[in-house]
Amino acid sequence: MKRDKVFEFIIKAFTLVSVAILGFIIFFIGAESLPAFRHSGVAGFFTNERWHPMGTDPVLSILPMVFATVYVSFLAVVIALPIGVGTAVFLSCVAGEAARRLLKPFIDLMAGLPSVVFGFMGLMVVVGYFERHFSMSSGESALAGGMVLAIMILPYIISTCDTTMVGIMKSYKTSSDSLGVSKWHMVRYLVLPAASRSVLAGAVLALARGMGETMAVMMVIGNSPIFPRLLGKCETIPALIALEMGGAPVGSLHYHALFAAGFILIIMRFAVSMLVSHIKKGADL
Amino acid sequence: MDKKSKYNRFLIWSVLSAALTFAVAFFILGYILLKGGGMVSTEFLLDSPKGFPLGSSGGIYPAIIGSLAFTGVACAVASLLAISTAVYLKFYCGSRRLYSIVRLVIESTAGMPSIVLGLFGYTLFVLKMGFGVSVLSGGLVLGIMIFPFIEVRVEKRLGEIEQDMLLSSYALGVSRYYTIKRLVLRKALPDIISAVALAGGFAMGATAPIIFTGAVIYAKAPESIMSPAMALSYHLYVLIGEGAPTEYVYGTATVLMLLILAINGAAMLFGKVNRGE
Repeated sequence: MKRDKVFEFIIKAFTLVSVAILGFIIFFIGAESLPAFRHSGVAGFFTNERWHPMGTDPVLSILPMVFATVYVSFLAVVIALPIGVGTAVFLSCVAGEAARRLLKPFIDLMAGLPSVVFGFMGLMVVVGYFERHFSMSSGESALAGGMVLAIMILPYIISTCDTTMVGIMKSYKTSSDSLGVSKWHMVRYLVLPAASRSVLAGAVLALARGMGETMAVMMVIGNSPIFPRLLGKCETIPALIALEMGGAPVGSLHYHALFAAGFILIIMRFAVSMLVSHIKKGADL
Repeated sequence: MDKKSKYNRFLIWSVLSAALTFAVAFFILGYILLKGGGMVSTEFLLDSPKGFPLGSSGGIYPAIIGSLAFTGVACAVASLLAISTAVYLKFYCGSRRLYSIVRLVIESTAGMPSIVLGLFGYTLFVLKMGFGVSVLSGGLVLGIMIFPFIEVRVEKRLGEIEQDMLLSSYALGVSRYYTIKRLVLRKALPDIISAVALAGGFAMGATAPIIFTGAVIYAKAPESIMSPAMALSYHLYVLIGEGAPTEYVYGTATVLMLLILAINGAAMLFGKVNRGE
């Protein structure tokens, strides 16, 4: 009996510690960004000016980076979605059980590759290609970032869609077959419409993931704090933090402004996640 | 005829998509292995980086050990806390409200961009708590990053344990502690190990959380958790940035990728085999 109590105490203590630490993070980041928000107000972060956190008259606008973060992720989802859904259709409806079992692990392994490897490949292959074939002085661009990120989020989109589609196939295959409906009719008029909400949720989830990606994107987008154009350089919020944190003196306005940028990124991701749970509410099949 | 061609277009779309996806996957794996595989030798694995820029000759031994150290600290901290939390939520948490609060905290941590976690760890662990740039600081940040990953999987697995078995155990007067220890955890162990290993692979590949908290451009293999260390992922990033000879870059990428693939592959196999698939 005594051991029972001790065990329960340990479990509760560890849980409390975990929740305390995790809950503390958001407050900590909020507290560290306060001086920056106090300096220029929340609105000061979204003015149409250049990011210039040092000097006598610092400007903390990160509007170009906010746009770039959304732009690059959105681009990635637009590129990855048709390919991802197509692959999921292939895995769940076209490939047989054996082929599916053989191929599915590659999707999981792809999801496990480190982002710096994706960034490296992007630099060597995508950026290199742009420079050779599009006569761009530098291939580093929002499009390169979008393409690399698209490859990274592809496995997530495929997994979400595949799971849903396999479920739909399983529950309707017998009735569909007995009605003599062809497989493609079934995919087109049953599987895809029924999976549409999950596909949407998966796409938005992938968007959120993309917004938080640092290394791979940072290595191929050129990192200029300007508004994003398809073939121009830009800089996302994670890239901004990663590149400037090392040089910002602790406690300076620059330092607090980078925390504020992180805080804004968290809020952006949180907003997108809210959208996901809103979509998912209606997706229960 | 018209209808048939419409469906054919559908088939073509799905087959082309799949072909493209798998082509990209194989291309990445193949390209790096092909270009970097030749570099992997005992000398490369067991020597320290040398030359200028650093890493343009010699090996990557300290980075391999460093990566393992970061991953080890992260897994140790995160698995202990995450498994406890999962057990608490599944077996001890009596209140719905408390449950949803804990879940909310875990889910919002899962949604934290890793670079922001690095920012947090830099100020709290490195500066305020005085751990300095070290294996401990970096490992703790990575631990926070993989905590939700482990917790979610373990909790899901614990939820799959048959209710009948639990009820029988309780009905026989077996205590909750003994039931959890001897029945629940023992049954779930392979999948728990698999989840922790997958999380370890995830931590090993991460760069952003350790840039400011633990990884340095050059260090000896870490002697204690308070010393700074090299890490394969960060070393790869540094090599690319300073324009080191490409065969060393590909060699480093190959070793990092093979390590992670081995961990993930083992985890996937381990978890599956024991589920009787």
